[in-house]
Amino acid sequence: MTAAARATRITSAVAARPRLWWAVTLGFPAVYHLMMFAALVARFQAWPNYAVTYDWLGNVTEIIRATPSLSDMGAIIAQEWLFEVGRMNYDYGNGISEWSLHINPAKVLIICLLGGLVATLTTLVAARRAQCSSARLGGAGAAGGLGAALVGMTNVTLAWVVCCATPNWVVGLAILGLGVSSSLWLEQFGWWIEYAGFVLLLASLYLLSGDPKTAETAHQTAIPQSAMGAPR
Amino acid sequence: MLRHVTQGLAIGALLAVTAAAPAQAKTIKVAIGHQSMCTDTYTAGIVVKELKLLEKHLPKTGKYKDVDYDISWADYSSGGPITNQMMANKLNIGVMGDYPLIVNGAKFQATDSLRTYYVAGTGYNVKGSGNAIVVPVKSDIYKIGDLEGKEVSTPVGSAAWGMLLKAAQDNKIKFQLKNQSPAVGAANIAAGKIDAHSDFCPWSEIMEFRGTGRKIYDGSEAGVPYLHGVVVRKDLADEYPEVVQAFIKAVYDAGKWIKEDPMRATDLMEKWTGVEKEVLYIYFSKGGHLSLDPTIKPKWTEALTFDHTVLVREKAIPPLDFKEWITEKYIKAAYKDMGVDYEKDKAEIVDPAVANAGLPNEIWHARDGIKSYATLPEFLGAVAKFRATGAKINATYVYDKETGLKLFGKTAFWVTTPKGGFATFLRRGEAEKYAASVDGKVIDFEDAIGMKSS
Repeated sequence: MTAAARATRITSAVAARPRLWWAVTLGFPAVYHLMMFAALVARFQAWPNYAVTYDWLGNVTEIIRATPSLSDMGAIIAQEWLFEVGRMNYDYGNGISEWSLHINPAKVLIICLLGGLVATLTTLVAARRAQCSSARLGGAGAAGGLGAALVGMTNVTLAWVVCCATPNWVVGLAILGLGVSSSLWLEQFGWWIEYAGFVLLLASLYLLSGDPKTAETAHQTAIPQSAMGAPR
Repeated sequence: MLRHVTQGLAIGALLAVTAAAPAQAKTIKVAIGHQSMCTDTYTAGIVVKELKLLEKHLPKTGKYKDVDYDISWADYSSGGPITNQMMANKLNIGVMGDYPLIVNGAKFQATDSLRTYYVAGTGYNVKGSGNAIVVPVKSDIYKIGDLEGKEVSTPVGSAAWGMLLKAAQDNKIKFQLKNQSPAVGAANIAAGKIDAHSDFCPWSEIMEFRGTGRKIYDGSEAGVPYLHGVVVRKDLADEYPEVVQAFIKAVYDAGKWIKEDPMRATDLMEKWTGVEKEVLYIYFSKGGHLSLDPTIKPKWTEALTFDHTVLVREKAIPPLDFKEWITEKYIKAAYKDMGVDYEKDKAEIVDPAVANAGLPNEIWHARDGIKSYATLPEFLGAVAKFRATGAKINATYVYDKETGLKLFGKTAFWVTTPKGGFATFLRRGEAEKYAASVDGKVIDFEDAIGMKSS
């Protein structure tokens, strides 16, 4: 089956359920950030007591002005925050931010893209339910889910003062209970894990957009249509 | 790939915005990141800020004649975020401790186009005091060996964490390491929820002063100097070297101001930072933990190089070319302008064991301020007398016989000798050893006062 035919099948699936696609695409980033917030509140058993908005555009403009190398510029801009909400501990001195959630536009873009892929996979699963075996659907769904989890995990923007107070994806792991040394060790593999996540998602789309194998088709045709509840 | 595409799009759009921005009058931005909860950064942070010492030294002639300075200060609880903000050019000067300094230099050198310079120190303790391991005050743990198999927390990545790792290696002990922020660690020590907590200045002394914790290991035992310093973005330093020199002059002035009157300084610093003045006094007074000296000594380079190897082992941080990063050019020029002999200051290293020998013990009387006593019996007699009259004592200070470190009188281990003499120690083990050698007895502060009041 050609790539063009697969792409047509995917776009048809999206076109058949536009509302579902938009709901998942837009809802995913919102749910993702709410889940991070909920994880913090649940983990630390406390509500945030401060919020800060940053001049993201102004800061990015300054980075562009002050950074000669384009590759450096991109990496630094990717770290810029738009909004921060967290908890300040005032027991000592003028206060210390114990933990916080950061909204980082570069990360939000990636999560929106992830949301789009998850939405596409969702519509494709719905469209191909009649043509594919449950094993194929389940396999593609599981691989896609794992991919989404990996991408989501590596784009966490939580900060915890014990991890030197910088928002970093491994902070999410540390907050969830993984040892800090292990979490920090994993940091170097972040990009590979993120790429692997996207590859898994794309592989799921590829798998579902293709024709079922002969054996799978034969298995399906061996089942009488009447047994599947089709009208006689 | 995906990330690069996203970044590329964002950069493209914003380049257009930048190009369209109107031209503005010449303003030099000096944005400093400091830490009001880290005592060793104060001479390049809160003191310079509050006394406006930078403004005093900024150049206003020649090429700076028509320049406006846009000075801003940002307070952080650790060095990591300061480095991030420096990379984004929101800050161009950062003040932090040894380990975060190394991360700063290494992270900048890992970029294609950005660099920082380590241009000056703020203060140091040559033996490593400032970091310490503290246990709950009622704990039966008295030495680091007792921590075998116990739960020990520390802010991972901090200077205290580095010290803890070295202490564990040196003493061949293993414990369960937990990552806890200073505030959380201090709260857990107060509640007895953790066996020990390792932290940086002034957290150990805060716990001791509040009566919740007791030091069992001082950073001086690790034998690696503990120091803090100033890093500056290369673009600021290259374009406006006189501004960097002005900052270093301000650091020097801040140290001089503290040394002139430590009580006045700690009183004001308490108002600026929220850290108790009695805790700050143990750092900034004569004989205190901190030697205020911005010079860059060869020993500091050795210490930072050692610290880098620790970080490489634990976190795989990028390499750091110390020759490129550490530069004395600016501090030498600043000292020359001030007419101060840089090489003389650079050659001087304060060892508390030597420098504090013979310093008087002190009582911080709530009304009359600091009172000094040459001997421990005189000191104890005065404490007993003040207490008898109901006078309020803010804090008392003595010196560890072993290391020369300044201690709170109430947390020291006291040894009384058969001849009525006294000696004070940081650790119980050394106190017991000394007591055995002089046929004396280890007692606590209250017992010692009792002996002088009876």
